[in-house]
Amino acid sequence: MAINKYEEMNEMELDILKEIGSIGGGNAATALSSMLNAKVNMALPQVEILGFNEAIDRLGDPEEVVAAVLVEMSGEIQGIMLFLVPQNFSDEVVFRMLGKANAPLLELEEIDTSVLTEIGNIVISSYITALSSLTGVNVELSVPQLTVNMMGGIMSLPIAMMGQHSDKIMMVTGDFKINDKALNSSMLLLPDVESLNILMKKLGVA
Amino acid sequence: MTKKISVGIADMKIARQEGTLITYALGSCIGIAFYDPMIKLGALLHIMLPENNQTDKNVFKFADSGIRETLRKLYAFGATRGRMVCKIAGGAKMFEMKGPGGLGNIGERNAQNVKRVLTAEGLRVVSEDTGANYARTMSLDVATGQVYIRSAGRPERIL
Repeated sequence: MAINKYEEMNEMELDILKEIGSIGGGNAATALSSMLNAKVNMALPQVEILGFNEAIDRLGDPEEVVAAVLVEMSGEIQGIMLFLVPQNFSDEVVFRMLGKANAPLLELEEIDTSVLTEIGNIVISSYITALSSLTGVNVELSVPQLTVNMMGGIMSLPIAMMGQHSDKIMMVTGDFKINDKALNSSMLLLPDVESLNILMKKLGVA
Repeated sequence: MTKKISVGIADMKIARQEGTLITYALGSCIGIAFYDPMIKLGALLHIMLPENNQTDKNVFKFADSGIRETLRKLYAFGATRGRMVCKIAGGAKMFEMKGPGGLGNIGERNAQNVKRVLTAEGLRVVSEDTGANYARTMSLDVATGQVYIRSAGRPERIL
C-alpha cells in the first residue's frame, strides 16, 4: 500500500527506516571516528513522526544557536539531510581538528566553519552511501552548506518542505557520541513522502 | 513581568489589555502582529507557507487562510480595519537551495504573499523586518502594541 502521509506508515515500514538510519549512521560514525581520531558511536536511531512544534521541542530550545550542515538529496529520492551541531560538538571538533579551544559558534572563523562543513559533508555522504548501497537507489547530493543560527529557524526549511501536504514531519534521527560523551548533535534524514514509497518498493515492501 | 503567551508554528493567539504574545525563531516562516490600539487587542500569527490551495483545515499554516481567519476573529472581538496596525517579520533565506518545489525562496514567497493578502484585506504593513539569512523571535506587547525582534548575535530591534 502506498504511503500518502507520514503517520500512515506501519510498524514494518518504520522498522525499515530505523534500519536504514542505523546502517547509514553506523557508516557515518566510522567516518567521523577516523577524521577525529576518537571513538565515535551513534545511539540507536529513532523514526519520529511529530507535529511541527513537537519536532522543534524534541530537538531542543528553538532559540539555541547551532551550526547546521544541509545537503539536498535529489535523483531517485528527494529530501534533505541535516546535520545539527550544537556548541559542545563544535568545540570538540574544532579542538580535535585545529587544537583551538572556546570558539563560540557565532564567532567562528572561516577555517573553523570550513572544518565543520567538511565534517558535515563526510558524515552525510557516508550515511547516504550506505543508504544507497542498501536500497539500490541512486541519490545525488548537493554541495553542503553551513549556517549558524537559531535551531527553530533552521528547521523551518524541512518543516516547510514536509508541511505542504501534512501536519506532521518525519525525521530519522541519530545522535553521535564522541569518546562516550553525549554531545547532542543530530543527524536528520528528511525524505519527502514520495521517496519513502520508492525506498519501500526498492526493498520489496510496498 | 507580564504574562507570556507562546505562539507555535502554524498557530495564532489573541490577547487583550495585557500580556506578551511571542513566537520563537522564525526562519522562512512569517510572524504577523495585528494590533488595535484603541481597544488594546492584539494577535500574533505564525504562518509557514504562502498559499492554501488544497482546502487544508490547518488554516494558520498558510498566509492567505491564516490572515483571513485571524481578522475574522479580531473583528468579532471588536477590532476595526481602520485602526488595525500590522507588522511582519521573518521570511529569511536560511540556506541557498536549488531543489524542486521552490523551497529555496520560500521565505521571500511567504513575505510577498503575506503583503498581498493584507493589501487585499484593506490593511497596510506599517513596518517589517523580513528577508536576509537569519532567524527572528518576534513578540507583541499587547499593553503597548510594541513589537520586538530578537536575533542571534544582533541587538534587539523595536519594529
